[in-house]
Amino acid sequence: MASTHTFTKLRYRFIPDHVIGELLSKKWIDNAIPFLVLLCVIAIFGSLIPNFFGGANLAISARELGEFGLVCMAMMVVIIVGGIDLSVGSNFALGNFMTLALLNLGGWPVGLAIPAVVLICGGVGLLNGYLIGFLRLRAFLTTLVTLIIVRAIVDMLLLKYAQAMSVSFYQSDVWDMIGLGGVAEVPSSFIILVIVALIGHVLLTRSRPGWRMMAIGGSRRSAHNIGLSVRGMVCAAYTISGMLCGLAGVLYAARLSGAGTDTGMGLEISALTAAVLGGNSLGGGRGSVAKALIGAVIVLVMTNGVLRIGLNSGSGPMVLGLTLLLAVFIDVRWLKNRDKLLSKVYVSPTYVELPTPRSTSVETGGAFALNDRLGQVEIIGLGEVESPEDVILDDDDYLYCGTRHGDIVRFAPPDYTSWEVYAHIGGSPLGMAFDRAGDLHVCVGGMGLYKIDRARNVGKVTDETNRSAFSVVDDSRLRLADDLDIAPDGRIYFSEATIRYEMHDWPVDALESRGNGRIICYDPKSGKTHTALRNLIFPNGVCLAHDGQSVLFAESWACRVSRLWIAGPKAGQVERVLDALPGYPDNINRASDGSYWCAIMGMRSPALDLALRMPGFRRRMARRIAPDQWLYPNLNIGCVIRFNDKGEVLESLWDQGAKNHPMITSMREHRGYLYLGGITNNRIGRIRLDKADPNWSGMRSYWGQRA
Amino acid sequence: MSALVGSWLERFLGRGRAAVTVPPLDGALKPNNRLEDAPRGLASHAPDNLVACGGAVLWSSGTRLFRAAAGAEPEPVATLDGVISALAVSPRGQIAVACDGKGISILARDGTVTDTGRSSGWPSACITAMTFVDEASLVVCVGSVQTALDAWQRDLMEHRRAGELWKLDLAARTAKRLAAGLGYPNGVVVAADQSLIVSEAWDVRLVRRAPDGRELAIVLDDLPGYPGRIAASARGGYWLTVFAPRSPLIEFVLREDDYRRAMLAEVPPAYWIAPALRSGVSFHEPMQGGALKQMGILKPWAPTLSYGLVIALDTNFVPLQSLHSRAGGKRHGITSAVDIDGRLWLTAKGGDEIVAIDRAAGEVR
Repeated sequence: MASTHTFTKLRYRFIPDHVIGELLSKKWIDNAIPFLVLLCVIAIFGSLIPNFFGGANLAISARELGEFGLVCMAMMVVIIVGGIDLSVGSNFALGNFMTLALLNLGGWPVGLAIPAVVLICGGVGLLNGYLIGFLRLRAFLTTLVTLIIVRAIVDMLLLKYAQAMSVSFYQSDVWDMIGLGGVAEVPSSFIILVIVALIGHVLLTRSRPGWRMMAIGGSRRSAHNIGLSVRGMVCAAYTISGMLCGLAGVLYAARLSGAGTDTGMGLEISALTAAVLGGNSLGGGRGSVAKALIGAVIVLVMTNGVLRIGLNSGSGPMVLGLTLLLAVFIDVRWLKNRDKLLSKVYVSPTYVELPTPRSTSVETGGAFALNDRLGQVEIIGLGEVESPEDVILDDDDYLYCGTRHGDIVRFAPPDYTSWEVYAHIGGSPLGMAFDRAGDLHVCVGGMGLYKIDRARNVGKVTDETNRSAFSVVDDSRLRLADDLDIAPDGRIYFSEATIRYEMHDWPVDALESRGNGRIICYDPKSGKTHTALRNLIFPNGVCLAHDGQSVLFAESWACRVSRLWIAGPKAGQVERVLDALPGYPDNINRASDGSYWCAIMGMRSPALDLALRMPGFRRRMARRIAPDQWLYPNLNIGCVIRFNDKGEVLESLWDQGAKNHPMITSMREHRGYLYLGGITNNRIGRIRLDKADPNWSGMRSYWGQRA
Repeated sequence: MSALVGSWLERFLGRGRAAVTVPPLDGALKPNNRLEDAPRGLASHAPDNLVACGGAVLWSSGTRLFRAAAGAEPEPVATLDGVISALAVSPRGQIAVACDGKGISILARDGTVTDTGRSSGWPSACITAMTFVDEASLVVCVGSVQTALDAWQRDLMEHRRAGELWKLDLAARTAKRLAAGLGYPNGVVVAADQSLIVSEAWDVRLVRRAPDGRELAIVLDDLPGYPGRIAASARGGYWLTVFAPRSPLIEFVLREDDYRRAMLAEVPPAYWIAPALRSGVSFHEPMQGGALKQMGILKPWAPTLSYGLVIALDTNFVPLQSLHSRAGGKRHGITSAVDIDGRLWLTAKGGDEIVAIDRAAGEVR
């Protein structure tokens, strides 16, 4: 038994299951299947064809890829906006012919001829774009028509000028450089492709026009409704497509210097195949330059490979067709099931072995012994506040709490019956703290760290931190800022409970019980935010120690409280303060006698403690049964404990029947009273503390007597 | 081989037998609060088996036997030497009492006690239900011959099928085993055609058996909870008590062998993930997501390990109506029901209460 436990422990320690889900949640994972196909194709043809990986072969292929890749990108651009361009082949032929004509017959310089050709082909694209975008003709029919017409024009021009062109010959170093040369074995057409691809990628993924194209492809109606100029964008896409074809035509002309009736014949089919193989969705809205290029390489390797192997003429398209069929099949299944797969594998519980909890029984006694000291609690704001996760009082005795509506509500002393919305932030306001100036800092779940100044202006303090080097999910954004405290020098330490889940998915994080959370520090002097500690198990409450040298933080699912030194000789070190708690610690706050209050939001149950040692059980549970049926930490009962710097628990206050305060998430001592908050509750409680200093307030404890 | 692969696949994908499904409370079983809201209640510690006897009701509570007439206070009748696990009343008023570990005694109307039923060879432990076929023969359900009476949860969690059905001849002092290997038979009633209707709790079904014990038919199966005792109703049908609910989590744990074994070995029974007669007593009990109190309220449809349910069946065992005490309610763990003089009497073993519901007042149709 012991050895299987050790094995399980090691397995969950060293195999990062959660990464699979995180990888699957990435958008670029869509490229995985096309990329695998690419590797297979290269492996197969590389092994069949001798000298496939030789320098000469690669150079030739790369040169061809330069042209073909551009045409594929041309196709991709229109596919993204939900269209199709069948005229790429003809347009390509036109570009090829015009280049040769302008250079050989017109005697234009290269620097002028190339832009001219790009513009001419762009003109064809513009025609397509105008007809499809503005006149709302069908993309398929329109481009079929342009395919035929442009092909006809090229044929007519060829008839007239082919003779003249074939006798003349254009001589230019630049031209030779483009057609035959390159930089250190890398052909220039390939370099051009790479440059265009990089620009295209940036435009598509990181610029407004790119996003708009994606939006239009994703849902034309919605894009129109939010005010995008759908017609103009569609027209622009076809124009860009035409220009890319023109550029490809130029490269082809430079390589072969010949124009024939079969130039670019069937290119639209290859380009379409490549685009779809690469994973660009024909429905629009899903595509990228990388996908187009992956598709281009696959198609090029296959068509050339089939030729080189020496199969008969029909087999090339046959192989291509079958591959396309397979790719489309896999792509459809992938698209359909990706989210299902993701939802199944994202939750990845890990091995947690909690120490035996301290006893809460009355018989054995001790600080945790059950009692009913919270039974006589006074109720504040019953039914008027919802989800007061944290409560805080200022020096004028006003009581503040957050609500799930995103408000900060303020109750007026002395009886706390009247209240007002102090400020509206949005999100889920959680932990709160006052700074020296009396500005209220609030951790807002789903938003970050916010501040409300004394004039009630709400401002963002920070909502991002440094991204860690090896995290798959983007952990720079704050998902669940939970509780904070402010050091004497103004630095704000706050906890982020989990980086893998949103606010309302916290139970899933409890199910995982992995170290998904962190302690983050915001320095107002530099305005910078950095992560101070990571891989904490649901870090929750944060409290500055009485001497200001360290912050205490609670790790809820680990049932422990630790100390992070922020000043003095041990700065940066972490040490354990409380361990083996019988419940899940939440917020920590100062007590008047130099000790600390800690809310225990729920209690451990033996059945769950056992399940924590069986990650497989929890994983299957997450998959097989509805979240409502999951085994949760028992949060229907709570207590408040007081402990000191030495880690001794001094007393506990219970609400045994949990009539008023199930799930206590916060408590705050103020002038002889203890105020209680709970995130699932609709009331605030307060109870008189007999032995507490009736003049003590948090504000004075932190910032001294008011001037 | 293919069967092996198939079962592995089922477990891996959670399909087929590995699918965790519980029938919904629907139709006649649609949840209501009629049991919870019913007015009258007599406090009694863990009342278990309730029978009608001469216009009054008689019930067992631990080792003691109580009696109450309508409207009257309960009075103790007898205290026996063991936990009373089942009662039965013959048409002429003989009372059979099963004491766990001791055996069956017969209390005659005149007050004489015969301990014939305690002779060797007769079932004596874990007797869950009894019924008289006639004055001289008694049909007895033995929940499990492997597990003690109070460890019924363990019997379920260990997937045991060790229940037996016996017929005792009180005149000839013989006993005959009618069936064995049953999934916790927990209730028996003689139908109009003299066949026996037996509720098999772990198989969540009612089975019709011939007087000699042959299985004739499954008359009701895939119940949403574990069936307990069954009694004839005044209108010709039956009242079926359901002492604990099924839930997806329990069904899931029943399929998770490693966890189940570890739980049985390490966790105190009161804190198991298992059906229970009462729940919410200790915070060491497992809590499920939907049972988290929100804004101070526990939703009645929250997942729960205990429940109060009694189902009215017609003569063909089609559910007609049901009375519920839902999550967070008090009247959980209904173990027996008796329908006399227009009044339905129930034992809420988990709620420590005898509940009487007036049918005349329209509380039950």
